[in-house]
Amino acid sequence: MDGLYLICVTSGSGLPVFTRSVGNVKQLPFPVIGSLNAVHMFAANHEAELKSTATEDARIVWKEFHDSLVLIAVHCGNGRVVDCELERLLDRTWAAMVLLYGLEELRQIRNVERFKREIKVCHPLIDTLLRRVELPVFSDVTGAVEGVLASEATALQNFLEAFVEAADTPYGCLLSHGRLVGATAKWWDLSATELVLLSLLGLSFSPCSCRDVPIYLPDKSPTVPHRLMTFKLMAHVEVWVICGPTPSLSQLEMEIARFWVAAVDTLHQVRQIHPRNFPASIDVDNNILGFILINAATHHSVTSVDVRREGKDSGELRGRREALREFYGSVWDSQMGGPVTEEASTDVKHTITDSYTVYSSHKCYAHICGNYQIFVLFSSKIPTYAMRNVCKKTLDAFVKDKSVMI
Amino acid sequence: MLVHDWLQTSEGAEILRSISSADGSRLRSYGLLERPVLPASASMEDAHYKLVVVGKSGVGKTSTIVHLSGHGLTSVHCETAGIQTTKMYWPVKIAHLNKKVLMNLTFWDAGEITLKKFDHILPACKSGVDAVIFVFSFVDKGSWEEIPHLMTQLTDPDDQLAKIVIGTKFDQFSHSEVSQRELRDFELRWNIPIVKICNTPTATSGTGLSDIITVMNNICELLWERDVQKAEAV
Repeated sequence: MDGLYLICVTSGSGLPVFTRSVGNVKQLPFPVIGSLNAVHMFAANHEAELKSTATEDARIVWKEFHDSLVLIAVHCGNGRVVDCELERLLDRTWAAMVLLYGLEELRQIRNVERFKREIKVCHPLIDTLLRRVELPVFSDVTGAVEGVLASEATALQNFLEAFVEAADTPYGCLLSHGRLVGATAKWWDLSATELVLLSLLGLSFSPCSCRDVPIYLPDKSPTVPHRLMTFKLMAHVEVWVICGPTPSLSQLEMEIARFWVAAVDTLHQVRQIHPRNFPASIDVDNNILGFILINAATHHSVTSVDVRREGKDSGELRGRREALREFYGSVWDSQMGGPVTEEASTDVKHTITDSYTVYSSHKCYAHICGNYQIFVLFSSKIPTYAMRNVCKKTLDAFVKDKSVMI
Repeated sequence: MLVHDWLQTSEGAEILRSISSADGSRLRSYGLLERPVLPASASMEDAHYKLVVVGKSGVGKTSTIVHLSGHGLTSVHCETAGIQTTKMYWPVKIAHLNKKVLMNLTFWDAGEITLKKFDHILPACKSGVDAVIFVFSFVDKGSWEEIPHLMTQLTDPDDQLAKIVIGTKFDQFSHSEVSQRELRDFELRWNIPIVKICNTPTATSGTGLSDIITVMNNICELLWERDVQKAEAV
């Protein structure tokens, strides 16, 4: 398996802060970390910025943030990886550190030893970012937060609105299996980075009933902390709010039953939609094994690799996720433009709306229509000429279904 | 005060089964809107308690809670960001009242780093608390030596809080940095019991719930004792 390291050193002095890794890889020896920092610093001293390099078996990307810290990503193995993917990982890692530690504190590190201890609070989230293909979601590559499409969402929205009012905040959302079922208008106003990081933060937490976590919003409030409070209503269903100093966790917890007990049956129904993630009213072609559907305007997406609830084993589902990721990476990063968080690539004068690849074991098709992007994984049984039509019909089915919002 | 082997009787075992996972290896976890469905014959009173879990970073506070509450164990240590609370239920039988009680315990767990950095965390944990659980690791002498400091910092002699000490990583007892004598002296001096636990998946597999019964009964006994003392004081 491919290995991936993420190294953080201080700018200038080059003191190692942390190294996180995934895959079957050895710990990086100190001299290697030292050299990685040294070549970057050598370039900087000659007024050049070293951005990336490739060796026979590794690809390395550097990025310095606020003259304070340098993050280095090292990818080794045979798997395909492009620089912009690693750059994106470094940007996300930085944002993750801001989210849990605060921009001001990252800019002005007074005591490195203390900082090394304190930044540990970010490790679970950074490790989650590094898991990539092991993640149950695609948000880390698409830059769009994942949702569950449910016709019950409108009814639940009322419960959510009432609850956030009691919490005295405009920010709230409801999650099932870590995917958004509904959120307040203000929550959707959060930047794409914030939306995605918060949802990945949810995957990084250890299980519990309630949380009260100090967070900084990397784009909206990087220096002033807020409180993220989460409440587990039932297994796999949580409600989240972002608050100021009040109310306290116990105060709000006491309100849970009052505001949510009438929603229990509806929540049960919504929980059942996983792992399909969209309602039975939407019919999809039998050749479709999985898909990613993104609304680039709202940074909202719905994805599924188990569209017919076939009860496939986890290995098969993981394979589908891997195939979709691979296809997304190959067409999006190199052909169809940057990820949804960035401006579309300007090098290409005409817009590509369709792209497909036929692999030995499956076929993939990407189609863009306005703000909507759909990436579909097909079984190889589908005739290649039919993919475009099926993609368009599938996208139409989602967009036109009045009971759900994507 | 508790009937310690009540959970081995058919009545107790049935109630414990109703709040356990299907294979009986751990407790079921409940959301805030959920409640255990007890056998129809069991009429049980509810008693609510808030317990705050403290101890040096990395000793296994979160692992201990996750283990006791049946959430499944993780093998790697992660620093906890902010506060995490975990609700769990434990059935007990009170000997002198011949009464069955369903203890509703909420464990409050705060990561050391956020605790130091943000002023609101500690007061939130301390407000309305019933018990303090001090956690140390058998393979970290420093965490053991920190217990008396935490004790003076967080409690005072007449606060009427239930106090208990849990030693983690007991599976590595052969490498223990804390001697039997030190444990005994501590128990005598502070009059606080020390219970031992190992939170590794391998050490607990196949034993069902037996490994947590002692710990849970100990905690519940202290809480009940404290209630009785408090009532007497009034």
